Amino acid sequence: MRSPNGEPRIVGFLCNWCAYQGADLAGTSRMHYPANVRVVRVMCTGRIDPTFVLKAFAEGADGVLVAGCHAGDCHYKEGNYKTMRRVALLRKMLDQMGIEPERFRLEWVSAGEGAKWAKVVKEMTAELQALGPLAWWENVREA
Amino acid sequence: MENDRRIGVYICHCGTNIAGTVDIEELTEYARHLPGVVVVRDYKFVCSEPGQNLIKEDIRELGLNRVVVAACSPRMHEPTFRRAVAQAGLNPYLLQIANIREQCSWVHEDGNTDKAKALVNAAAQKAYYLEPRDTREVPVNPSVLVIGGGIAGIQAALKIADATHKVYLVEREPSIGGRMIQLDKTFPTLDCSSCILTPKMASVASHPFVELMTYSEVVDVSGYVGNFRVKIRRNPRYVDESICTGCGICIQKCPWKTDSEFDMGLGKRKAIYTPFPQAVPNIPVIDTETCVYFKKGTCRACELFCEPKAIDFQQTERFEEIEVGAIIVATGYDVFDPSPIYQYGYKRLDNVVTSLEFERMCSATGPTGGEVVLKSGEAPTSVAIIHCVGSRDQNYFEYCSRVCCMYALKFAHLVKEKTEADVYQIYMDMRAYGKGFEEFYRRVSDEGVNFVRGKVAEITDQALTDEERGKLIVACEDTLLGRLVRIPVDMVVLCPAMKARADAAEMARLMNISRGADGFFLERHPKLEPISTNTDGVFVVGCAQGPKDIPDTVAQASAGAAEALALIDAGKVEVEAITAAVNEELCSGCKVCIGLCPYNAITFSEEKKVVEISDVLCKGCGVCVAACPAGAIIGRHFTDTQIFAEIEGILADARPPVAAI
Amino acid sequence: MQVQALALRRNSVDTDGPMVTQVLNPYKEAVDIVKELGGDDLKLCYQCGLCSGLCPWNLVKNFIVRKLIHQVQLGLVDFESDELWMCATCGACVQRCPRGVNIIDIMKALRRTVVELGIAPIPDSMRITLKNVSGTGNPWGEPTERRAKWSEGLNIKTFSAGTEFLYYPCCLICYDPSVTRMGRALTTVLQKAGVDFGILGAQEACCGESVRKAGNEELFQSLVEGNTGVWRANGVKKILVSSPHCYYTLKNEYPLAEQGIEVLHTTELLAKLIREGKLKLTKPIEKKVAYHDPCYLGRHSDIYDEPREILGSIPGLELIELPGNHADSLCCGGGGGRIWMESKVGERFAEVRTQQAIDAGAEVVAVACPYCLLCFESCVQPGMIERAPEIKAIEELVAEAM
Ligand SMILES: Cc1cc2nc3c(=O)[nH]c(=O)nc-3n(C[C@H](O)[C@H](O)[C@H](O)COP(=O)(O)OP(=O)(O)OC[C@H]3O[C@@H](n4cnc5c(N)ncnc54)[C@H](O)[C@@H]3O)c2cc1C
Ligand code: SF4
Ligand code: SF4
Ligand code: FES
Repeated sequence: MRSPNGEPRIVGFLCNWCAYQGADLAGTSRMHYPANVRVVRVMCTGRIDPTFVLKAFAEGADGVLVAGCHAGDCHYKEGNYKTMRRVALLRKMLDQMGIEPERFRLEWVSAGEGAKWAKVVKEMTAELQALGPLAWWENVREA
Repeated sequence: MENDRRIGVYICHCGTNIAGTVDIEELTEYARHLPGVVVVRDYKFVCSEPGQNLIKEDIRELGLNRVVVAACSPRMHEPTFRRAVAQAGLNPYLLQIANIREQCSWVHEDGNTDKAKALVNAAAQKAYYLEPRDTREVPVNPSVLVIGGGIAGIQAALKIADATHKVYLVEREPSIGGRMIQLDKTFPTLDCSSCILTPKMASVASHPFVELMTYSEVVDVSGYVGNFRVKIRRNPRYVDESICTGCGICIQKCPWKTDSEFDMGLGKRKAIYTPFPQAVPNIPVIDTETCVYFKKGTCRACELFCEPKAIDFQQTERFEEIEVGAIIVATGYDVFDPSPIYQYGYKRLDNVVTSLEFERMCSATGPTGGEVVLKSGEAPTSVAIIHCVGSRDQNYFEYCSRVCCMYALKFAHLVKEKTEADVYQIYMDMRAYGKGFEEFYRRVSDEGVNFVRGKVAEITDQALTDEERGKLIVACEDTLLGRLVRIPVDMVVLCPAMKARADAAEMARLMNISRGADGFFLERHPKLEPISTNTDGVFVVGCAQGPKDIPDTVAQASAGAAEALALIDAGKVEVEAITAAVNEELCSGCKVCIGLCPYNAITFSEEKKVVEISDVLCKGCGVCVAACPAGAIIGRHFTDTQIFAEIEGILADARPPVAAI
Repeated sequence: MQVQALALRRNSVDTDGPMVTQVLNPYKEAVDIVKELGGDDLKLCYQCGLCSGLCPWNLVKNFIVRKLIHQVQLGLVDFESDELWMCATCGACVQRCPRGVNIIDIMKALRRTVVELGIAPIPDSMRITLKNVSGTGNPWGEPTERRAKWSEGLNIKTFSAGTEFLYYPCCLICYDPSVTRMGRALTTVLQKAGVDFGILGAQEACCGESVRKAGNEELFQSLVEGNTGVWRANGVKKILVSSPHCYYTLKNEYPLAEQGIEVLHTTELLAKLIREGKLKLTKPIEKKVAYHDPCYLGRHSDIYDEPREILGSIPGLELIELPGNHADSLCCGGGGGRIWMESKVGERFAEVRTQQAIDAGAEVVAVACPYCLLCFESCVQPGMIERAPEIKAIEELVAEAM
């Protein structure tokens, strides 16, 4: 559900080493992007339990954005590969729950990619604006 | 849950950085009503001494047991505030930061206050569930590894060794010296590069505290700050270092030649060679690609003539393991090969050379014996020096390479000194920012150089007039004249961009550090931590961090040595307290986690039939926590409960999605 | 109101006039309008002058692109200057600008400012062309009914739903006697190869590519709407075009992709037919042929190989490259609406290009664009250039070789 002012809410789960720093860099470089995203910092995307994503949707997020290090760059060597695999399952789960695929996004953002972070947030916000509020009950397919 | 939470919230204005776009008053009012919050204060700069004192006093006087600071990124001041709360007697892990600057006030045009509220709410909710952690200290290994033996690596190694700490200096090439030893003279003082560098090379090689490993590469790094284990590959020289006297007879006698890398392909070297006469160590290597014995099984001329019998064709690569407390990465830069800029004719037109080629040409020990000559052997009568080749160009490298303007002026001086030629500097902006640079610019101007402001469109040998026949023509707009000009010259020197080493990505992976958008290694903070990286105990210095001149490189290298020494001299270091722990009651012994841990920190206890996690090996990534089907692993400081609370806080102003009934 | 403000202050830099100090009082409204109309990139220009150095105009006449951009940056541009109308939108500069400035967008925005706000006169030839396109759907003001006249006697069917290709010829093919042969040759080839195609003749109008470059956005949009409507109504699925200009605009600026309408350039189709063996080229053409890459096929659309592939499969033909080929090709001078404007003899890019072809020993210059055909034709009239090569459309060479 939208916030009172009708803007979609995005919860970002960002790894401490790449994506979170990338987002900080967007800040130090004063790049502008919509305030719709709110970030929860974790040490590595590998820590992201699918239940975090579900919890965010349950609490009213319109979209969830997971961002971590590029392939091969994970601070803990391969946490992001594990995330990739986990996300594949999570996507199926979301689909079955009637949550559109656009509402969940996995991105690789390095510590140097402030501009990419800003761009991803802009894009996702626009997509969610077009999609409207989350109404999974309308999408659940008959079993 | 316990109901004795006493949370203090401190909201920073950061001057106008936060207060300019976030309504502090509204935020403060909002925070007062959050669960467990007993005091909310705002202050101009919470990170300042009086700001920190506010927190400390409240901890003591109001008995706070959790603290939330809403300010800049935790990557900026989390250590500061942890220290502050610890000084007031509170466990440093009972602090949570809400990043309302980098990820809020600086980046949004509207909705900042609402977002700040959500972030503060999330931080307070998480703080509610924070648990104390003991910081752990481990002893630091007092040796240091320096990777790369250019001026940066040499300087850092010498400083550390002078402080009587063991340094391993690993260099990939057969000799140390890096790019600087390829240069002839150095701006702005025009002192001879090898004259100032070779003494340093010699002293690093003979220093009792330096172990020099040339022709070697780092292949694996494990461990953590204070206690790294590093595996080094020693490539075979086919010359026994312990016997070779460096007499050079082998080089003299070797009949096979190939292009010299050191001379940028302008000169030749033998199959057994040292890259240049003053090489350190002065021990040759055999290049198996050129050596005919390696290709066809005959020759062995070098072996025949070597009196001490140092040639050893049987040598193979060896691996050595060392333990160090800190690592300094000083791997330098590559020079962009400008042949992709077709219009500039590099490798297509004769007498279009790069700056490094020109440096070799100017060097008395170089392929032309220090003469500036054309391919024909004649001296040029006119030379154009072209700035910003691939630099400041978003089709290639967006950044400025910082040293080209000055070495281009240096080249003008050298051309004037060595020939009668006219010199054209074709530049876009003259950047003479360093100490003594502007004076140098004036000096070279005084020598009578033509300055043309513009970006070269084309270098061609297609003459339009008699005057142009047989020449290279540089075509561009002289933007100060506002006219197109064609400059006929005999020689063109391109000043190509300095770029990250070709293997920088691999090195970054090995060291677990990041790279910036420009490809160079990323410092932890561009202003305040220019030497540190993402990985504690790993530092970057010199051009590995970005293009810079020798004075800046040396300064940075010395700073790197200071960082490493500070770490070592402390004798011990705090290690990650944010680790994972097993709840033995819940663990079913399924072992799923064991294979997932990248650090082999999880083992199965046959006795208890549950897994155990080593506190020393665990780095706290949390991959096992997320994977445990029984929910038996706790990711300290990022527990499920804490993160759930944070999610609730962050979405406090959104409503859960429910179908209208 | 803005228009009035603009009309009141026309203080541009005049460097040719008597030397007086210029009061730097930026004409902010003007800059804002240019930015708004698509020239926003101009903020990024750091005045290196590479664009000036690359612009083909400077082979024949001074055109300091950088200076014009600087004038706009400071709001000191003279909207009445001819310079606003010089750019042939060839893209040579855009391709290499180190700051990624889309110079063509700036030129377009300047022209839009003139056209939409009427703050300066539009050059006569351009003004009349725009009026004609808006009146009769073609640049000459020829009757719309005569749009299919070029195809007389060729037995081309009228497109109807189910026909595979719609052939959409360029206005030049429809009306210009020296270019019509391009469409006629193509027809012969397609008929021989058994390709199912038809035309819609008077139902269609100009694609508007040059109209847009000339700054008349409104007219362009109405052409897009009209043509798209006609194609949709007729159930068109694949459009075949001869002009790279039509190709570029249909592909990038028309909303066709979302309607599932595919656009092909003739060279793409011919190369495919040859590859599939549906078109057999057996009659040798024993000539040295230079292929000239059109800006809108090469640089703007990245098609370099197909034309060469076609020419390469003509027996006996020796394909040679001109200096400056592929992405470095020299503009013929016809883009950006220049085709409708007067370029003086001695100031035409095609003259330089023809000379390059002569120097390279070409007997034939093969072109793949109606504009190129016309530009080259009009500069190799007898007596103008000695030893002039023949100018042939690729379609013609293929027809000859069948
Ligand atoms: C043409 C030119 C002229 C210049 N002139 C001047 C001048 O006049 N004055 C001035 O102040 N500056 C000048 N500079 C800049 C100067 O070259 C640099 O500031 C300086 O060389 C940087 O030193 P460094 O040690 O950081 O890097 P480098 O000199 O590049 O040294 C890096 C070393 O690391 C080694 N290495 C790389 N990768 C590995 C690896 N994986 N494992 C082990 N070893 C590795 C390399 O072999 C090399 O020895 C010039 C630069 C150029 C291009
Ligand atoms: S090439 Fe680009 S940056 Fe250079 S003057 Fe032209 S528009 Fe400006
Ligand atoms: S697009 Fe072509 S004609 Fe226009 S300014 Fe650029 S180079 Fe010149
Ligand atoms: S640390 Fe960034 S994904 Fe693992």
